[in-house]
Amino acid sequence: MSARPAGAEVAYGPLLAALAALTLGAALVSLAVGYARLDLFAALADAFAGRPTVAAVVLEQIRLPRAALGATVGFSLGLAGAALQGLLRNPLADPGVIGVSGGAAFGAVVVFYSGLAGLIALAMPLGGVAGAVLAALALYALAGRGAGTMTLILAGVTINAFAGALTALALNLSPNPYAAYEIMFWLMGSLADRSLPQLWLALPLSLVGWALLLASAPALDALSLGEDTAASLGFDLGRLRARLVAGVALCVGAAVAVTGAISFVGLVAPHLLRPLVGHRPGRLLLVSGFGGAIVLLVADIVVRLIPLHPELRLGVATALIGAPLLYGLIDRMWGEA
Amino acid sequence: MTWLSQDRRNANLAQKAQALPANDGHAEQALAFDPDLVFVGPFADPASVALLKRVGAPVVEVDPAQTLDGVRREIRRVAAALGEPQRGEALIADIDARLARVASAPRQPPVSAIVLQPNGFTVGPGSLVDDVLTRAGLDNLAARRFDIAADSQVPLEVVASLAPEVLILDRSQERVPSLAEAELDHPAIAALERQTTVVSLPSRLWTCGGPEIVEAVERLAAAAKAARARGARP
Repeated sequence: MSARPAGAEVAYGPLLAALAALTLGAALVSLAVGYARLDLFAALADAFAGRPTVAAVVLEQIRLPRAALGATVGFSLGLAGAALQGLLRNPLADPGVIGVSGGAAFGAVVVFYSGLAGLIALAMPLGGVAGAVLAALALYALAGRGAGTMTLILAGVTINAFAGALTALALNLSPNPYAAYEIMFWLMGSLADRSLPQLWLALPLSLVGWALLLASAPALDALSLGEDTAASLGFDLGRLRARLVAGVALCVGAAVAVTGAISFVGLVAPHLLRPLVGHRPGRLLLVSGFGGAIVLLVADIVVRLIPLHPELRLGVATALIGAPLLYGLIDRMWGEA
Repeated sequence: MTWLSQDRRNANLAQKAQALPANDGHAEQALAFDPDLVFVGPFADPASVALLKRVGAPVVEVDPAQTLDGVRREIRRVAAALGEPQRGEALIADIDARLARVASAPRQPPVSAIVLQPNGFTVGPGSLVDDVLTRAGLDNLAARRFDIAADSQVPLEVVASLAPEVLILDRSQERVPSLAEAELDHPAIAALERQTTVVSLPSRLWTCGGPEIVEAVERLAAAAKAARARGARP
């Protein structure tokens, strides 16, 4: 893991700036893409002038939350993937693959279909966070402390299957006549017709999660040298684990509660960017966040441009890209072993 | 009676149905009552229906009506099967009188409308709902626009951009949490109320073509009138 291919690393500051610019660009394209013909400049003018025209409503209430949630959720998934990979020292750790997203979906489903979310709005993302914490703890109990890739993947498969079954069970028990259809949303995810209130629900918890994860960068760099070395450098590994699990649960839980579980973003983004930061897990965090935002925004633009009706689920699109990548990664790791 | 009839969200006579024993749509349950008549719908299990016919149970197959004429036809059929044709005719006369009252009200100018159902589905031409809209003096945009497939899911931004004068939200009355119905609570719909008359209609009124259909026509005609008054104001 510590091999650093020379020449691939690029300057960190310009890399961050470029990724941030790309994220902004993708978000703007996302605003411009949609099913209805929209004069973006007229809509912007109306929105800024406070004229409640149809164009302004479409831009503010439908396109804007979709683009902003795409960036927020993508950032969370990319960042969480990089953090989990640093913590578990395993490049296959993605919140979707290892079951954290599945657990979050179950938590959100319980809160939503029990009617609790109708009483307290914030219960919804908190339910997602609680489910994500449970899944992360279960995973860590089984595959923490540098367990092999096989153990990690198997633990993830198990947690994913169990969380998916619980989600289906909870929907089965709900008196909702559309339950069968809604299982798809929770397991595959979508940004279609999301709303501004959902953005305001997800954003605060996500920001706290991001802060916790980004603050762990130096400790993750130390951890890449081994647990003993990190401990001798003065990092409290117990606290680091707790902080990372809390950070991942906060941002992934809040994301899944509003968009459903979208897999593989946390795998693809760190994988593509790792060589550019010289394989340093600390530096990988922020760039993977932006990378995840770009991946998700682009995927969400693509699903709206493909003439499929109804639109392809976002989680299907990311899995179509991510699953072959995971396959390739496992194949390569077997070859090296 | 099937178990579905006791669901207050979707059945019009659920309260009365709850006093009666229900079945799950299996032939043996129906036969256990030794019925004089068995009404079956088009979605009944064909194997159960075949079994009922084979053992000689008197089966009457009821079709869901696709038009208001079909509603009259089915009422007549059911009334005849029950041996109460005059009660059927009385019910039809009442429906016709109420429809005539709606039809005699001023109907110009035409008012554009679209139906939004849970999960973002809309309703196209050739359906009972489309017939109800037409009789209420509404012009169903989903029937006129070639870019909207009949009875398909329509993205919310398309609904908004069509700028219908009346937006009909088709929702069940007693609500349980569902993403499908949450779609109808999207803030964009509330924001559209400045341009659009938004009306909620309980789906039990017009999902199946029963006598309640006339109430749906009356409520929508009232919405059309409100939209016309709004259009005339500025």
